[in-house]
Formats: sequence, C-alpha cells, structure tokens
Amino acid sequence: MRNTDPCHHHPSICCLLEPKDPREEEKWAAELIQECAKAIADKDSSKIRHLLWVLNELATPYGDCDQKLASYFLQALLGRAAEAGELCYTTLISAAEKQQSFVTARKVMLKFQEVSPWTTFGHVASNGAIMEAMEGESKLHIVDISNTYCTQWPTLLEALASRGSDTPHLRLTVVAMLSMGRSVMDEIGRRMVKFARLMGVPFEFHVVSIVSTLGQLTEEELGLRKDEAVAVNCVGALRRVRVEERDAFMRTLCALRPRVVTVVEEEADFTTSRGDSVACFQQCVRFYSIFLGMLEESFSPTSNEKFLLEKECSRSILGVLACNGGGVCERREKASQWCERLTEAFAPTAFNDDVIGDLEALLERYREGWSLVPAKGNAAGLYLTWKAEPVVWASAWKPIKP
Amino acid sequence: MAGEAVSASSIQNPSSNPPPVNKKKRSLPGTPDPEAEVIALSPKTLMATNRFVCEICGKGFQRDQNLQLHRRGHNLPWKLRQRTSKEPRKRVYVCPEKTCVHHHPSRALGDLTGIKKHFCRKHGEKKWKCDKCSRCYAVQSDWKAHSKTCGTREYRCDCGTIFARRDSFITHRAFCDALAEETARVAASNGLMRSNVVQNFPFFLKSPVAESEMADEARSGLSLWMGQAPPLETLTKAVDLVLGDVDGDPFASQLSWIYQNKLVPSGSDELISSITLPMSGMKETEDPHSLLLSAPHHYSTRHHHHLVPPAPDTSATALLQRAAQIGVTASGPTSKAKSPDSNIQYLNTNRSYSATHPGNAMENAADPLRMMYSTRHNAAQKDEGPEGETRDFFGVDAPTICASSLSGWIRIRN
Repeated sequence: MRNTDPCHHHPSICCLLEPKDPREEEKWAAELIQECAKAIADKDSSKIRHLLWVLNELATPYGDCDQKLASYFLQALLGRAAEAGELCYTTLISAAEKQQSFVTARKVMLKFQEVSPWTTFGHVASNGAIMEAMEGESKLHIVDISNTYCTQWPTLLEALASRGSDTPHLRLTVVAMLSMGRSVMDEIGRRMVKFARLMGVPFEFHVVSIVSTLGQLTEEELGLRKDEAVAVNCVGALRRVRVEERDAFMRTLCALRPRVVTVVEEEADFTTSRGDSVACFQQCVRFYSIFLGMLEESFSPTSNEKFLLEKECSRSILGVLACNGGGVCERREKASQWCERLTEAFAPTAFNDDVIGDLEALLERYREGWSLVPAKGNAAGLYLTWKAEPVVWASAWKPIKP
Repeated sequence: MAGEAVSASSIQNPSSNPPPVNKKKRSLPGTPDPEAEVIALSPKTLMATNRFVCEICGKGFQRDQNLQLHRRGHNLPWKLRQRTSKEPRKRVYVCPEKTCVHHHPSRALGDLTGIKKHFCRKHGEKKWKCDKCSRCYAVQSDWKAHSKTCGTREYRCDCGTIFARRDSFITHRAFCDALAEETARVAASNGLMRSNVVQNFPFFLKSPVAESEMADEARSGLSLWMGQAPPLETLTKAVDLVLGDVDGDPFASQLSWIYQNKLVPSGSDELISSITLPMSGMKETEDPHSLLLSAPHHYSTRHHHHLVPPAPDTSATALLQRAAQIGVTASGPTSKAKSPDSNIQYLNTNRSYSATHPGNAMENAADPLRMMYSTRHNAAQKDEGPEGETRDFFGVDAPTICASSLSGWIRIRN
C-alpha cells in the first residue's frame, strides 16, 4: 500500500490489511465491518473515517462476497452515521417498486426457486400443513402475508384440484407488503384467476394494501366470512411487524379463528441486539454472509436475478442497521423466539410424514449443501440448513382456544 | 428379539372420532378402530420380506395370497385347505420405534403391509437406489414405482420450456405468458370480449354464459395448447416486456454517490438528488380492494354450477399432463442447462449467457487480490462515466436476450 494512505497512520487497520494466509484473507469484510461498528459505538471519529475509507476502497457490489458485504454494510454504516437511514431506505424501496414490473418480479422469483430451495422449502411445508388442516372443508380462505409474490399458490391449487373428493372453493386474500407494487399484484392476481380456472378450482383473489403498519392489521380489512375455514400464511411476514407490536399481532391472528397458521422465517436474531449496535452488526454480518454465499453458489456468476436479489439484500441491511422505527422493520428473530411469542395463543402442530417426504424430495432436486433438520428444544417446526447452518425455519400452528 | 414380540392392548382413543362401522371399509387415516387389538411387531419381523411360510415345504412368500396359491399346488385334502381363522378380532399395528409418531396406539396403522412399509421407509436402511437420480428407497416397491417414472416424464410448457419436475412446471405455467395469451386469444376468437359484456366486469371475469364456454375450452383445450405459432404481435409484445425492464438503475447511481462524494455525508438532500427515480406514471390507487372483487359471489356460485367436475380422465390436471407428455419430442436446438444438476433448459436465458461477458467485472471478481488494488482504477472509471460499468452488466445482455430469444421462439415453433 502506498505511504500516503491514511491507513498507514492507524496501526490497527494496518494489521488488518497485512497479507495473510489466503484462507484468512477471505473473510476480511466481516472483520472490517465489525471494527467499524465498534468505532462508531466508541465514537472514535478518526478511526471511523479511516475504516470507512478502507471499506470504500475495497467495496463493490460487482465483486465477490466480501466485496459485496463491504459495499452493503458501507451503505448502512453511512446511513447510520448520517442518520439518513430511513429516508434512504424508503427512497430505495419506492425506487425499486417503480422499477419493478410483473415480468422482473416473476423472473427473479422463479429463477431463485429453480436454483435454491430457500423459498420453496417454506412453500412446500406450509402447503402441506394447509392441505392437512383443511381436509374436508369446502370453503377455504387463505390470508397470505408473504414476500414471495404468490408463487406458493399454483401447487396448492393443483393439490386442491386433484384432492379426489369435491374441489373446494378457495378465496385468497393477499396482504401486500411494502415493496410489492400495486400493478404487479394486480397482474399476479389476473394470472392466478386464470390458472385457477384452468385447474377447475372456484377461486377469488383479493389484494389488501396495508393502511398503516402490518402490526395494525385488522380483521375488518381482511373481509372474513362466516362459513369459511381460514388459514393464515406468514412467509417472511412476522419480521416486518414492529417489535413492540408483535405480541398484539399474534392475538390478532388468533382472533381470526384460523384452522392453521403457517410461519416461515429466516433464522437470524436482529431483535435482541437492537439496543447494542455492535452485536446487531455481528448478527447481520453473519447472516448475510451466509445468504450471499448461498446466492453465489446457487446462481451463475452473472445472473441478473442474483443481482436483483443482492440489491434487495442491501436494502434489508440498510433497513436493519440504519432504521429505528418509522414504517420500516425487518428485524428477524430466531425460531425459539418466535415460538415463545406464538405459544401465547397457539400450539405447534407437526408436519405429517408426506410433507416431510415431499420436503426431502424437494431438497434432492437442488445442489448439495441443503438439508432438513427438525427443530429441537424450545422450538417446534423444521429448519432448512445450508452447509449445516440453519437458515430458514418453517412451522405450523393451531389456536389453543377453539 | 426372537420371532414375534406381541403386545396386545386396547386403544384408548382420546379423540372424538367415531369408529368406522363397516370393517371392510377403509377408515380415515389416523383413526384406528378403538376396539381393535394392538400389535407391536419386532423390527426383524417388519423388515422380513418372506413372512408367509408354507408349512409343508417351508417356502417363504411376501404375500398371503401367494402362499395360498402355492399351497393349492400341494394337493391337500379339502379340510386342511381351509385356513384356520386366527384373526377374529381386527388388528392394528404400532411401530416398535419409540421415537416414532406411530408408536402410540392412537396412531396405529390398520394394515400389516402398511406398518411394514412404514417401518422400512422410516427406520430401515435405504437399500434400493435409483440409477438416474440417485434417490434411495427402503421399500423395493417404492423404488420400482419411482424408477418407472423417473426421467421419463417431462413437462413441456407452451412457451417451450421443459421441466423435469412437476411442481416447477406448475408454478411456471401459472405465471407464463403463454397461458395469459392463450386464454386472451381464445377469448378473442370466441367473441367473448363483446361490448355487451357488463361494464364493471374486468375482461377476465366473464359473464356466466361465457364461463361455460371457457370451461369447455379448458376441457377440450388440448388442440389449443399444441404448439400453435403465436401471432407476431404477441411475440413483439413479449420482446417489449423483456426490454422494458432494463431501464436505468437507481442502485448504481446510489453507489456513484458513495464513490463520488468521498465519504463525507453532506446531508440528505444530496442523497435524494443523486438517486434517479425512473418515471413510470404509476399511481397508487385509493381503493385498497382489487377490481377483481367486483362480483365475487356471482362469479363463484355460477362458476360452480357451470364448471361441472370433469370425468377423471379429462380432469384439468390430466389434460395438463397429456399436453406435456405429447409435446415431449423436443424440437429445435435446446442448449444444455448451465448447472449440471438442473434439468431445466431455459432456451432464452441460456442463449444470452453464451455470449461472452464483459471482461472487466468477471476477471476482477475471479482474483480478489487484483480486485482490491484495481478498485481505485474502477472507481476512477466510474467517476468518468457512471453508466459505463453498469451498461456492461445490463447493456450487453439486453440486445442478446431479445434477439436470440426471438429466434429461439421462431425456431421452436417451426
């Protein structure tokens, strides 16, 4: 490194950049980011400046995983330092929403599902639990709060159509989340209606845009009817409820008197540590480096879909690290934590053998590295693991009071 | 672990499921007869394949029927031919494995073959392996059933994409433009888009009369799906859609802020001004309820009447399958999938990726060390032309996508 570099004046950074054993050199981003987070917590402004400079030098969203991590976390760090996190986040979200079309959303989702079971795992588990809970029902109403653009439902429609006995009537109410544009959801709805007709399933589709925050969703907005069996499907949804509203949200769900509530979440804890920025950074770095590594190994290197998913990743990181409330929330919790909240009003129900079989068959279709592990201890449900790290958690719940 | 370890007890049935009256009828899964005798066989017995042994010659058989057929060959006197009725009481079987859900009598299985299969599948060694997909099975019949269909079934969508797996085919089909265009074309050709259709119905929610026509189309729809060449306007429309999503990239300009502004966060206004928001003229509608809900009851009840459940062999899924299977003889060049594990052949995207990729991003990514030291260089490049590097990522691909995919479509259709 040249002598004019500021890092030369800072011994702690210097040793970070010394050429090391190649294997150690791989994970430089995590270290740098952690150091920077610590410096921010210590309010060591010269160190902050130096570290940000170094990160900026090395970061690029077009590079390898470390460089990407550096780039996204740099953005989050800057947002945090400037206290412009929320503004930045909402700007990015609305830009993404305007940029997005049905075609791009579809391409990204379907390609992602082709190369990785990250989302399909939760879909198969949830659909299995819903089919079992709705056995014998003739009018179904599924309240769908998810971030997968209804890609879960075609296979469920097919399963309903081939159920053998009379095909039930399905009503699908989608609660549209922040980044899901209205025009995209409308187009998705049109396709779903057409497909349901093709499958021979009597079908209704309905989109609800949240007026305030997800945590304040009301029964009225959902338009439930008396004679229908309700299932609530939460895929990547609970983490979008603001932390202080989570317990109340569970009660709201319970009040809908559902036959089953399916919950799929990503396994990370950004909630406990939200008071402690250094710990939060550590959790984030850990989770997102696993996620980015998985993307890297699943997609082809120049995949546009991968790039868009990474962009979404960077937005999430910004959301977690630089936003403190407002309309923004993506604070994940681990399975054991969700279970603690859910057991207030719900009891876990196990996935049946067929579902487990389907999940195992699903994982067979993908590259090596994925496996299914049942949750133990305080948590119920199943984990999807990537290289032995639990990454996605799927579970099903029934209300305790009938 | 010698022979049969039998423990008999009655089941305490805590649930309020009524027991099936007629014993011959297959009861609902998970509701064993509370009066039945509970048997727990040993693992050895459950895994044994030749349980039925002829008492005369000692030959073993997998099934009781086979044993009976065999015994006839011994020319026994009539009296001895009769099987001693040893099962006056219905038996249900529990799994000997303590951790198993079926270990508890309330989850016992009513069928001996069933419990044997369950035990082998769940707790047995998977000895039978499929050569094609390396999936392993503990029960031979499962393996045989799988091998018959493995790799032989291919699902072909109208758009030309082929799938090895049913669920990815289904998900794709639901969102495929081919489906949207097909139904639109059918609707148009059947004159369903008449002006006398009620105004507040969106075009895709047809009036009840039209509904039955659509249903008929769906049922006899094979001919429609069989690789008819889409009209030129749908092709160009699809190309526009593909091109349409390659607009300016706000993220890149977001990044250029980081590189240009030298890490001095000078307030939020700069942030906003440097992020370009592509104008798209889309407005948020006030009404939170989708238009699709305009006449739900009407739609649902009428639909139910007109869409008579078709006979099993002409069900929608059977039609889909037939359409998929008939179209399997793959026409036209199909390039191999990028990832060896995936059987999906994406004709369009593969062609675009076969084009050589811009050297810059790729080479640098391959060599992290070089990347670190050349980032400065790249940053400088970015300063000069913020669009430069981005265009490499998107600009090169875009023309490749539409040109080659267009030719791909045309070739397949012929």
